[in-house]
Amino acid sequence: MNLERLPNEEKLSLCRKYYLGGFAFLPFLWLVNVVWFFREAFVKPAYTEQLQIKTYVKRSALGLLLWVAVLTTWITIFQHFRAEWGEVGDYLSFTIPLGIP
Amino acid sequence: MNASDSDEDFYNERTALVPSENPVVPSYRPDSDLTPENCTPTKVPGVSRRAGPAAPDGGGGSDQEVDADDEELTLKYGAKHVIMLFIPVTLCMVVVVATIKSVSFYTEKTDQQLIYTPFTENTPSVGRRLLNSVLNTIIMISVIVVMTIFLVILYKYRCYKFIHGWLILSSLMLLFWFSFMYLGEVFKTYNLAVDYPTVGVIIWNFGAVGMICIHWKGPLQLQQAYLILISALMALVFIKYLPEWSAWVILGAISVYDLVAVLSPKGPLRMLVETAQERNEPIFPALIYSSAMVWTVGMASPMDAQRSEHGSDEEAEQSGGRGEPERRQPRTFPEDDVEEDSEFIRDQSVRAHQSERRLQQCVCVCVCVCVCVCVCVCVGGVKLGLGDFIFYSVLVGKAAATGGDCNTTLACFVAILIGLCLTLLLLAIFKKALPALPISITFGLVFYFSTDFLVQPFMDNLAAHQFYI
Repeated sequence: MNLERLPNEEKLSLCRKYYLGGFAFLPFLWLVNVVWFFREAFVKPAYTEQLQIKTYVKRSALGLLLWVAVLTTWITIFQHFRAEWGEVGDYLSFTIPLGIP
Repeated sequence: MNASDSDEDFYNERTALVPSENPVVPSYRPDSDLTPENCTPTKVPGVSRRAGPAAPDGGGGSDQEVDADDEELTLKYGAKHVIMLFIPVTLCMVVVVATIKSVSFYTEKTDQQLIYTPFTENTPSVGRRLLNSVLNTIIMISVIVVMTIFLVILYKYRCYKFIHGWLILSSLMLLFWFSFMYLGEVFKTYNLAVDYPTVGVIIWNFGAVGMICIHWKGPLQLQQAYLILISALMALVFIKYLPEWSAWVILGAISVYDLVAVLSPKGPLRMLVETAQERNEPIFPALIYSSAMVWTVGMASPMDAQRSEHGSDEEAEQSGGRGEPERRQPRTFPEDDVEEDSEFIRDQSVRAHQSERRLQQCVCVCVCVCVCVCVCVCVGGVKLGLGDFIFYSVLVGKAAATGGDCNTTLACFVAILIGLCLTLLLLAIFKKALPALPISITFGLVFYFSTDFLVQPFMDNLAAHQFYI
């Protein structure tokens, strides 16, 4: 899919769909949105839909940062306290490492 | 690169790759323009002066130029294609080899076999083992042939929804279930503690974005990356579950099948490609790796309508009728004194048993992805079927898993790339869909067996005797 060849309305619609899709627990989709539409939103000379695309890209970036913060916090907490949580820690674990924690 | 203003102007697969050149315009000479107007006696020399610079650009050696240009176009066209396909094939093989070398799960001996290869290779006699591997190959190849023919029939009768649905199902399984397994094995190998919520988020994101990129719209590089990862996952499954000798015989047999299916007039793959070209539709994207996007303006809308129509057909054909019952292996549970322990062990083995059964079902569905084993030209680039990626990676992966050391792996890798190069050269000459497996797999097999049995002992002997050549 080459963005260059799409008309501007379709670019906007695609950006919007990616933005809305990211609300389904999909920060990766927001990341793709930011990276893919970054040039369209900030580097290209202005056109009518660019302002809206810019908004979507900014909001996707914001949502992405939020998700990264939440995930990092949760992973840090889990890694640090997993051994102390005992049974709950094991229940939550997908893989349990061998050896003494 | 000069972009021509009109897209329809002489736009085919060759000009799409080679930069178009605007016709050379004779330079503006104000004095030659003015002289004929100012002084009539000098009109003739003025005209001839203007005609002078134009002559080398125009008629003269145009015939020779056209021929030279033609050859140049062919060469540039072929060379660009080679580069465009080397990188993904290399990446796929690198992923497979890296996994094989680091994650021991995929090289562990298992008694569990795919239902397509029911004959076991655990027999002591060589003859029996050879017979079993040949029988396994016959079954596997006939499964693939039946699936391909089913696919072609469904495609011809325009049962696009069915194919579309099946392809979505198989890519769903590959993207979610197989990557979940893969991630689990990687974490176990590196002894990491990971929790279910994190894994859930990772797999959900990976899978969902993959489905969006492959089946809907997404950045081209991301779609290519996902197709490479899917091929690598499928190749890893094959490497794990195909018995040793069966794998090599299957590789040989499938390249012969590829030759027949793509080149013979009634071959299923040839009919598939021709039907797709007649109807001016692309072969479904989940089956084929495209090196460049199709550059037509407003491509998105009509493509989507077409794709949603017949995507399902192709995939469903390839997946075929996968409703066979899974194999059950009887397990005996050791009786322990401690009740809890035996419960725990039973739970673990039941869970392992269930996951293996689920795996069998998934593989049933996903073998469809291997069906497309041809390379063809499209506007803007060249397309290589995912089946080619899978079987190349199976060859290199098996060489890495069972071969002596990295010499064998490297030799196979080089052999496959040479074969791919030659195939693309032939593609540039013949300009129609060609089988991509035969040359590469033949070279790969020859290199593997000769390196493993001839070169390796030779090098070992030289090193042992400290003899450097």
